[in-house]
Amino acid sequence: MFDIGVFLNGIVEISKVVPKTLLLAMFILLLALIMGAFIYLIVHYKVPILSQVIVVLQSFLRGTPNVVLLFFMFAALPELLTSITESLGIPFDANKIEPVFIVILTFSISLSVFQSEIIRGAILSVDQGQNEAAHSLGYSFWQTFRKVTLPQALIAAFPDIMNSLLVIIKGLSLAYLFTVIDILGQAKLLGGFTQRYLEAFAAAAIIYWVLCVLLTKIANKIEFKMREGFN
Amino acid sequence: MLSIKDLRLSFKDNEILKGIDLEVNKGDVVTLIGPSGTGKTTLLRCINYLEKPAKGNIILDDLNIDYEKITKKEILALRRKTAMVFQQYNLFKNKTVIENVMEPQMIVQRKSRKEAYETSVEQLDKVGLIDKLESYPSQLSGGQQQRVSIARALALKPEVVLFDEPTSALDPELVGEVLKVIENVVSTGMTIVLVTHEMSFAQKISTKIVFMDKGNIVEEGSSKSIFEDSTNARTKEFLNHFNTNKLNVTKEEVYA
Repeated sequence: MFDIGVFLNGIVEISKVVPKTLLLAMFILLLALIMGAFIYLIVHYKVPILSQVIVVLQSFLRGTPNVVLLFFMFAALPELLTSITESLGIPFDANKIEPVFIVILTFSISLSVFQSEIIRGAILSVDQGQNEAAHSLGYSFWQTFRKVTLPQALIAAFPDIMNSLLVIIKGLSLAYLFTVIDILGQAKLLGGFTQRYLEAFAAAAIIYWVLCVLLTKIANKIEFKMREGFN
Repeated sequence: MLSIKDLRLSFKDNEILKGIDLEVNKGDVVTLIGPSGTGKTTLLRCINYLEKPAKGNIILDDLNIDYEKITKKEILALRRKTAMVFQQYNLFKNKTVIENVMEPQMIVQRKSRKEAYETSVEQLDKVGLIDKLESYPSQLSGGQQQRVSIARALALKPEVVLFDEPTSALDPELVGEVLKVIENVVSTGMTIVLVTHEMSFAQKISTKIVFMDKGNIVEEGSSKSIFEDSTNARTKEFLNHFNTNKLNVTKEEVYA
């Protein structure tokens, strides 16, 4: 019933999209971190209007499933872009946007609010005495941030950031709904091709599992190295 | 050289410092003593603007600053002429001993790596930690950490070193090694402002003792004039806690 040969072949075939999935996930994480940093700054410095908008956005993104967001963005974004470009008189067919861009945008926006919380927590976790020591030695605001706050906050944030990477990798399985081929997408194609869905999905599950275990191990190694001397 | 005039500071409605005047001459060792919660540490932290006074003036070397109109540039200048040794050491946790001493010189004074290294080794040798260059703070005892923090402060060649209860967080058996290092610093002629509860140490090293109570300076003068000849009732009452039966711990000492 379970064809080991098909399963192993599935592992090999699906593995081919792992690098692409990883790259995509890391790119989304990077964007989410950059946006998260801006969100943190807006909230921290209580920028009028923007900080209120963010509060609503945060609550909205927390309360909506990613699938819904993806469907919404796929419906809304092309129309929005088309109406903008039309009013500007630029010839542009928004329906030709690569789906992968919409996936990247949706995921990075939805994750950015969580990244901003991670950043906030990490910065708060830095002992105030560390900053005071830098100030007392004559470090400027930026020197204190760059040399003391940031490196120590990074250590604190690292496990959460790596966890976000795993969340993205698993979440990207939704992207197959929009023709972006990741691990699950590849498995579905393979299953259709061989008519052996069980083996194909089993292979996909195993690959997800191994990938996450490996990434966790690597993350632990890096974290251990970062925490050297840090109790 | 260091002169503070009418310094006032409040936290919310609570007035902590009620118009402090303080003079420190070059080479002075000025020790602030007094009960806990009196504002000694707060006053010390005003000198390098870790606390923000509401009013007052400070003159340090060629700086003449009105706290009400202080600029970012003046804050930085003030901090670069002073160095502070904290009660909790506050060494950079993610840096080794040598990096802790080197980095401020490279960042703040733009010294080359080589120059900073040489100064750091020299300073760490003076505090007896030449064999701990590559250790992290968490691998050191409290006394060793405090000695590193003194080396870090001195490596910047400040005009004044501010000691904020440098031995209060230490195990009793480690207090001696730190006091000895401070004594060595005193012997180099460094200008020092110190907050401590080590009364006999204060008596021994200070050129001037300042007794504070409830946000005011009650009395100031030489060690002898405060510790032996004071006629002020409040001063005598405070010092009696230390002179009489040490085992009879007072409330103030418990919360110190």
